[in-house]
Amino acid sequence: MKTFEYVNAQSPASAAELVGAEGRYLAGGIDLLGEMKEYIATPTRLVNVKNLPTTREISKSPEGGLRLGANATVAEVAAYPGIPPGLAEAAAEVGSPQIRAVATVGGNLAQHSRCWYYRQRDLSCLKRGGNTCYAREGENKYNAIITGNPCISPVVSNLAVALTVLNAQAVVWRKGKEMKLTMAELYADAWNNPLAHNSLQPGDLILAVEIPAPAAGERSSYLQVAEKSDFDWALVSCAAAGSVAGGKFSGVRIALGGVAPVPFQVEEANALLEGKSCNEDSASAAADLLLAKATPFSRNGYKVPLARALVRRTLLNLAK
Amino acid sequence: MATPDSTSENLSRRNFFKGLGAAAVASATQKANVVAQELNKHNAEKIQGPDAIPVKLTINGKVEAFQLEPRVTLLDALRNHSSHTGAKEVCDRATCGACTVLLDGVPVYACMLLAVEAQGREITTVEGLAPDGKLTRLQEAFIACDGLQCGYCTPGFVLSVSALLAKNPKPTEGDVRKACSGNLCRCGSYPRVIEAALKAAGVATASKCEVVTMNHV
Amino acid sequence: MSDWPSNPQYLGKDTLRMDGPAKVTGAAKYSSDMQPEGWLYGMIFRSKWPAAIIRSINLEKARALPGIKGALTVREGERPVYFYGEELAAVAGTSKQACLDALRLIEVEATPQPFVVDPVEAMKPGAPVVFTDAPNLSEAKIKEEGKVDEAFANCAVVVEGEFFTQVQLHQALETHGNTIHVREEDCTAWASTQGIFSVRDGLADQLKMPQSKVRVISDFMGGGFGAKFGPGVEGSLAARLSRETGLPVKIMLTRFDESLAVGNRPSSYQKIKLGSDKEGNLLAFDLDGFGSAGFSSGGRTAGGGGGAGFPAPYIYKIPNVRSKQAGVATNAGSSRAFRAPGHPQGSFGMESMMDELAVRLGMDPVDLRIKNDPFEIRRKEYAIGREKFGWAQKYTKPGSSPGPIKTGVGVAGATWGGGGKGTKAQVTINPDGAVEIRCGTQDLGTGAKTVIAVVAAEVFGLPPEKILVRIGDTDFPPSGGSGGSTTTPSVSPAIFDACTKGLQQLQTLSGETDARGASFLPACRKLGVEPIVMQGEWREGLSSSGAGGVQFAEVAVDTETGFVKVIKILVVQDCGLVVNKLTAESQVNGGVITGLGYALYEQRVMDAQTGVVLNANFETYKLPGIADIPDIEIILLDMPERGVIGIGEPVVIPTASAVANAVAHAIGVRIHSLPITPDKVLEALGRVPKRAAAQSDELDPAFARVERAKGTAGDFVDFIPA
Repeated sequence: MKTFEYVNAQSPASAAELVGAEGRYLAGGIDLLGEMKEYIATPTRLVNVKNLPTTREISKSPEGGLRLGANATVAEVAAYPGIPPGLAEAAAEVGSPQIRAVATVGGNLAQHSRCWYYRQRDLSCLKRGGNTCYAREGENKYNAIITGNPCISPVVSNLAVALTVLNAQAVVWRKGKEMKLTMAELYADAWNNPLAHNSLQPGDLILAVEIPAPAAGERSSYLQVAEKSDFDWALVSCAAAGSVAGGKFSGVRIALGGVAPVPFQVEEANALLEGKSCNEDSASAAADLLLAKATPFSRNGYKVPLARALVRRTLLNLAK
Repeated sequence: MATPDSTSENLSRRNFFKGLGAAAVASATQKANVVAQELNKHNAEKIQGPDAIPVKLTINGKVEAFQLEPRVTLLDALRNHSSHTGAKEVCDRATCGACTVLLDGVPVYACMLLAVEAQGREITTVEGLAPDGKLTRLQEAFIACDGLQCGYCTPGFVLSVSALLAKNPKPTEGDVRKACSGNLCRCGSYPRVIEAALKAAGVATASKCEVVTMNHV
Repeated sequence: MSDWPSNPQYLGKDTLRMDGPAKVTGAAKYSSDMQPEGWLYGMIFRSKWPAAIIRSINLEKARALPGIKGALTVREGERPVYFYGEELAAVAGTSKQACLDALRLIEVEATPQPFVVDPVEAMKPGAPVVFTDAPNLSEAKIKEEGKVDEAFANCAVVVEGEFFTQVQLHQALETHGNTIHVREEDCTAWASTQGIFSVRDGLADQLKMPQSKVRVISDFMGGGFGAKFGPGVEGSLAARLSRETGLPVKIMLTRFDESLAVGNRPSSYQKIKLGSDKEGNLLAFDLDGFGSAGFSSGGRTAGGGGGAGFPAPYIYKIPNVRSKQAGVATNAGSSRAFRAPGHPQGSFGMESMMDELAVRLGMDPVDLRIKNDPFEIRRKEYAIGREKFGWAQKYTKPGSSPGPIKTGVGVAGATWGGGGKGTKAQVTINPDGAVEIRCGTQDLGTGAKTVIAVVAAEVFGLPPEKILVRIGDTDFPPSGGSGGSTTTPSVSPAIFDACTKGLQQLQTLSGETDARGASFLPACRKLGVEPIVMQGEWREGLSSSGAGGVQFAEVAVDTETGFVKVIKILVVQDCGLVVNKLTAESQVNGGVITGLGYALYEQRVMDAQTGVVLNANFETYKLPGIADIPDIEIILLDMPERGVIGIGEPVVIPTASAVANAVAHAIGVRIHSLPITPDKVLEALGRVPKRAAAQSDELDPAFARVERAKGTAGDFVDFIPA
């Protein structure tokens, strides 16, 4: 790590001012300190944002909506009573107990690429500002199969995938005021800009995530497959939310992680499920639509059948 | 997030002392409160480093004073700026658990926590579990079940399981596996870590080993 | 019959690890924990190029940095670099932060050279050469017995297969390193090592100091698995920096360093043909194989293997055998001995073929093994194991398990030498009854200290905790390095010898006819003021070698996601006389779990485009975690009359083969390469779109290169007990 100044911010406005152009916000620190130890990030100042008022709480509105303060830890999200099961499961699969104890909602959403070319200290890949996405012609087993830009680093935030199908919005401090971004908006830039990990601009700070009250009878589910049984990155993850009434899907949203630079959704897949019987056939049809545009690379073709399996299982879980 | 206080909006950090001067002259009680708040905030938002700054850590119940650059991690502070070498540096990247310490009773990776951020928290290292030399039930169980080999991962496992038992005195095998999922052991002591955790919790486990004496001619 | 007591009181029982309390309280001080007065932190500067000529290294800016007390280059003048991560220079300073900053100020002028990291590519004509004066591909070593081609023609069944095993890293949790203080006249080194005397001799040579002036201490060390002998580059650098600064210097490698430059289990490529008659009697075997031990392989190394050889046809006796093996140099870190060097590779290829053959013959794989195994103990182990495991019920038609999640079972056998000799030890019996053993061995976590206490306790009839055991110091009587499962068989006889002599002396001096147990203290009291100090040494008759073991595995394979879960491993293992049951069993668990890593998770990944290692960390170099651990059941065969045999290595060998066979049994298709990850399972099941499935076809021309290489008979590790 290079040297840096350290400061505790007390308000979003002062945090944004303090962070300036060369600083970074520090919350749980798991992702940021990892990048700094590899000299991938070399901020001259760390602005601790953990003391910003009301950012640590998780609260429920009278209507049943949830507000996750950006500094709520992943462990707190996983354990919060009444949290949608899909989100709880996604949170429980983040890292290890030691990581979940300090890693925050905001940090999980804003974490940077885990592509091993990006994280290799001595390489300068496309995402690091170089000219080449080495993964395209190289060891791309863990990379994306669908992308809108030359970088094939996939989104790895479990929470982002789960929150996408819960129609959550991130409350972001941007240029002196709060604004709300859907999960799709929060990651949109990563789809077509190889340098972007998400749509956050310099100085932007996630303050909270708001989850609207679920529709009556709505359920959610999250599944992932990794190479190890625990404490491993998902090869592919899948989240779904919606209702199954009288054996038929209603209002279902489904998204995939680990296959694209963004939590991957296809509106047609959601639409197709509407009113369809909850069974293998309809789930497979949705999977077909989700993966129609997949163009795997030399070593990640397996993500297609894996994603299909997870889509089917996650959708069928909604009926359980 | 509440709308920021309008007074603080108008008072940027750099203009603060000018603002303070004006406020002090005004001497209104109401203003004084605002000033006190602002002063707090100003002190709280003091920029520290990059050179070494005073850092006070409460380690195993005792306060220790350090001079550390903000970039020094808690693990570096414990191992290289003090003599708490029970926490080991193995990966230095939040992946192995050998540096696990308890922060207010909760296991965290000391390698991924800045020492400055551990101030005001109760830090427990493995040395702090048996300060009077009397081993805890869990430590006894690790020895009895041979839940260790080279011992380099052991402090981390002992702390992870200690925290589990404090929260959940009767864990299942699954609970133990979950609680230790952030700790790696290369010698392969996992089965006996599980046995030790369950033994300390008073849950009986059957030995999975038998010796068959044979004559070989 | 061995010379051990026939009705032991402590041998073979559960004795608690003597250093358990120190390890669970953090009191145990490892080399990495040492903080001698004035100690400096040291770090190593490494090549960012996989191949280059280093023209110059400028340390001036680094040296000028506040807090930096010393800086030096590994070598003077121009020098080549053969792999990414090769050591170039080192710094020592008052803090880790100062060292980190200093490393970034080192300036290097270098001319990058063409490189190759993929062994298959390295064998192709026109590939970049690792060494300009020798080809990448070594001459093949050829072993030929009988008339192979003729025998194949007469086989009722012939199976063929190509197998690949990955590069596995040792990844001991305590990295390589030392804390070293070089003074004017002498030197003290706290070393994380498997051989304190090898470190002493290396440092003495480096420092041009008499060996008697170099003291190496290893009270505790955090694992080695074969990679920690001698001072290494990091030890030499720490010693030189200590000499330069006059202060103690600690250089412990970072995990990144550890993953690049201090050894690995080399890869292997095996093309095997195996034939039998219709009753399953093996008749013919043919192997074309090669492996890469990084830059230490290839044409430049005598005989070519450079550690990449493996035993074939492993544990089986086959009348007609042809084996060709070559080594391929690549721009990668070199291999080192790794827990049963060569054997897991050889086992995976051969044991996979055995199951293929069994399926073709319609024979039970256990029966096929028993039929062809020349080692009687292992045949018994198969019989014991199949009963205990419920093999007959579980071994159904391959691939016949229902459902998307299919279960399967597999089995494999292993052999290892595990003998040892050459240790000396000293016992002191004090007039107050205190017994102290001194021996210059070291405890890698295997429980060596405790084993010594057990042996001494047995001789004196005292509880083991009454024996003070001091090891890990070159001031003590010499013992060999701890590698190859030799420590217990080498050390135990020396302790037994010293203690037996001490006891005889005690009986002579005290006039007690039997000074053991309750009589021990009264006898000691008669010694007056003079303690008894007695030397002992290893002798024949107390240890032997040649351990056999078998393992059974049960797995569940999710055929839709490719995820493999190992449910159960049953180990049936011979280790001669069991000295300490408790620690022996822990070593068995450890072997199985390292084998599981080899089977399912671990692989060093290098990028062919840039020559760097992509997973020099624990995030993507995946070690098995606690959630991955199956139910492990152990049956130790205690055969006291064989004497002591080491157990560390043999138990690591068959796990991956048994798991691979179980996966093949579950899904009805074989996966030919390790580790068996979800992508490979889905590919084997034909579920992966075509584009991604085509990679393995490249192997054929590579094997053709091996065929063409001229060869001479060789001496690959090939230990098969008669």
